[in-house]
Amino acid sequence: MKAFLLNLDRRVIFVFVALGIVIPSLAPVRMPIPITKDVQAIYDTIEDVGAKNGTVLISFDYGPSAKPEVQPMALSVLRHCFRNQIKVIGMSHIPTSVGLAQRAFETAAKEYGAQYGEDYTFLGFKPGGGSLVINMGSDFHGAFQKDLRGSDTAELSVTKNIRGLADFAYVICLASGNTPDGLWIPYGQERYKFKFGLGCTAVMAPDQYPYLQSGQMNGMMGGLAGAAEYETLINASGKATAGMGAQSFVHLIIICFIVLGNVMFFLYGRQKGGAQ
Amino acid sequence: MNRDHLVFFLFLLVFAAVNIYLFASGSLPANMTGLGTFIAAGITLSLYSFLYKDNPLFKFAENLYVGVAAAYTLNQVWYTVLLPDVITPISELDGESMNNLWLLVPTMLGFFMLTQLSAAKYSWLSRIAFAFVVGLGSGLAIPRTIAANLLAQMQPTMQAITPDFAGVNLFIILVGVVAVLVYFFYSVEHTGAVGVASKIGIYFLMISFGASFGYTIMARLSLLIGRVGFLLEEWLVLQLPLF
Amino acid sequence: MLFLRRTLPLIIAFVMGVIGILCFYIPHSAAESLELELTKWDRIVAAFALVLGIYSLMRLHWTRVRRQNPGWGYSFLVFVGFAIMTLFAIYNDGQGPLNPQEIDTGPFVWMYNNVQVPADATMFSILAFFIASAAYRTFRARTPEAAILLVSAIIVMIGRVPIGAAIYHALPDLAQWMMDVPNLAAKRGILLGVSLGAVATALRIIFGIERSYLGGGEE
Repeated sequence: MKAFLLNLDRRVIFVFVALGIVIPSLAPVRMPIPITKDVQAIYDTIEDVGAKNGTVLISFDYGPSAKPEVQPMALSVLRHCFRNQIKVIGMSHIPTSVGLAQRAFETAAKEYGAQYGEDYTFLGFKPGGGSLVINMGSDFHGAFQKDLRGSDTAELSVTKNIRGLADFAYVICLASGNTPDGLWIPYGQERYKFKFGLGCTAVMAPDQYPYLQSGQMNGMMGGLAGAAEYETLINASGKATAGMGAQSFVHLIIICFIVLGNVMFFLYGRQKGGAQ
Repeated sequence: MNRDHLVFFLFLLVFAAVNIYLFASGSLPANMTGLGTFIAAGITLSLYSFLYKDNPLFKFAENLYVGVAAAYTLNQVWYTVLLPDVITPISELDGESMNNLWLLVPTMLGFFMLTQLSAAKYSWLSRIAFAFVVGLGSGLAIPRTIAANLLAQMQPTMQAITPDFAGVNLFIILVGVVAVLVYFFYSVEHTGAVGVASKIGIYFLMISFGASFGYTIMARLSLLIGRVGFLLEEWLVLQLPLF
Repeated sequence: MLFLRRTLPLIIAFVMGVIGILCFYIPHSAAESLELELTKWDRIVAAFALVLGIYSLMRLHWTRVRRQNPGWGYSFLVFVGFAIMTLFAIYNDGQGPLNPQEIDTGPFVWMYNNVQVPADATMFSILAFFIASAAYRTFRARTPEAAILLVSAIIVMIGRVPIGAAIYHALPDLAQWMMDVPNLAAKRGILLGVSLGAVATALRIIFGIERSYLGGGEE
C-alpha cells in the first residue's frame, strides 16, 4: 500500500478527477450559492442602468477555450439587460470569440424578444487593441463604421447616438486574456471614466483585485462560481449553477490528494524525496 | 497486436457502437445538427485519449483544429477589417472623393510588414512597419501605464487609516505593498530591517500565489465540467439529474 | 542603404513614440486628431500583423510537409482544416466573399461550432487532470512559505465553491478577505513593479536602446 501510494500512477488520479465530475453531474446536487459583493455590484449597476435607459457595451474577449466559464456570464448579463429593456452593443478584441458572442446574442434576444438594430447589435472583431479603444473613445462610428451584418453604425437605431465611450452607461468586459487590465482600463476607463465591470476566467480573477479596490473596476465575476452567482441573482439557473455540485465535489477530491501527498511526504518522503 | 493497439481499436469500436445506437434510437437527429454533435463528441474524446497516451487520434484532432482556427481568424480579419475598412474604401476612391486617401499609408505599411518572411532583399521593409507599430505602441502605453497602473494604484494604497476593521485592512494592504516592493528591490542587501520587510513580502506573495494556484485549479476543472456536461447532455442526450 | 535599413526605422520609432506620449498630455484638438489618425493607421497595420502570423504558422507546417519530417502527415492535416474552412469562408453561405459575413447559418458556422469550439475547449480542459496530478506530487509543505501557499490555496478552493459555506459558515468570508487584503497587496506590489518595468522598456524602445523588434539579419 505504501509503495502504491508513493508511486501512484497519475492515471489513478485522472480516474478520480473524472469520477468526481461525472457522478455529481448525474445527481441532483444543489447547494445554496452565496453571493459575493463584487458580483452583486455588477447586478446592481445593470439594474441602475435599466432605470436610467442607458446603453451597455459588452466586449466579448474570450475564445472557445474559456467557453464553459465565460459563456454562462455572457448569457446571464445579456438576459439581465434584455429583461430590463437595456440596449446592448457587443464587440470583440479577439477573433475567435465572434461565433460564441453571436450565439449568446441569438439565444438571449430570442428569449426576451429583443430586436436586432433596435435593442442590440454585434459589431464583431477588430484588431488594434489599445488603438481600437482610443478610437472608440472619441470616434465610435469611425472605429466601427459597420456592424457584423453590414449595417451602418451611424444610422442604426441602437448605435446612432453613441459618439464615444463616455456615452455608455456601463462597459462590461468578458475576458480570458489581458484585455481588461491591458486595454480597457489604461486606454479607455482611465480617460473616459465610464463604469467598468468584468467577467473573467478564474485564472485571471486574483490579478484583478487591485483594480476593484481602486474603483477602476466596480464589479467582477470570477470563473464558473462567479457565473453561478450571477445566474442566482437573475433567477435563471443555467450551466454554471448546474456545474457547482461537480466543482465542489472535485475540489474536495483534489484537497484529499494534496493532504494524502503531504502525509506520505512527512511519513516517508523526507528520506526518499517524496513520491516519484 | 500489442495492448495499445487493442485499447485503440476498442475505443473506436465503443464510440462507433454508441453513435449507431444514438442515431438509430433517434436521440441524435439524422441531420447536420446530429452530425455536428457526433463530430464534436469525436473530437472531444480523441483529445481526451491523450490522457492514456499520445496517439494518432489526438494528433489528428489537434492538427485539424490548428488549421480550422487559423482559417477562422483569417476569415474575421477579411470580413471585419480588410474588406470594409481597406478594400471597399480604397476601391471607391475617385477624382471627386479623396477622403480615404490616407488609407494608402497604413495599407502600404501593412504590405511592408508582410515582407518579413520574404527574401532578405526586401525583408528590411518590414522594419519600417514594425518601427511604426512598436514606436507608437510604446508612446501610447507610457502615459497610460503611469496614469492607470502606477498613480491610480498608489492613491488607494495611501488612504487615511481609520480605527476600525476597514482601517486595519488598509494598513495591512499598505504593509503588504511596501514589503513586496522591498522584496523585489535587489539594489540593497536583504539584511536587517530590509531583510525583515523582504521576508514579510515573501509571506504576502505566498498567500497571493496560493490564491492564484487555487483559482487556476478551479478554472481548469470548470472547463472539464463544461466538456463533461456536453458529452452527457448533448451527445448522450441524458436528462440530468439521472437519479 | 544602411540609413534605410537601420537608421530610418529607429527615427520612425522615436518620432512615433514621442508623438504618442505628447498627444496624451496636450489637451488640444489638433493633438487629439493626430492621435486619432495614427491609431487608425495602427489598427489597419495590426490586421496585416494577424495575416503575417497566420502565414508564418502555415509556412512552418509547409516546411515540415516539404521536408517530409517525422509526422509530416499531421502537418498536412493543418492544411486540410485550413483549406476546408477557407473555402467555406469564401462561399459565405452563398453570399460570396465581397458581401458581409453570414453569421447565423452555413457550413462555416457549422465548422466553428462543431470542430473549433469543442477542440479548443477540450484542449484546455485536459490540463485539469495534469494540474490535479501535479498537486498530489509537488504541493508539499516543505518550508513555512510553502505551508502558507498550501493553506491559502486550500482556503480559496473550499471557500469559493458552495460547499465551503456548508463545511464552515465563515469560510467564504475568510476566502473573500484573503483575496481582498493580502492577495490584493501582493498583486498590487507586483503590478507596480511590472508597470515600472513596462514604462522603462517602452522608453528604451523609443530611444533606440532596445532594438530586438528590428529582428536580426542583414543590417
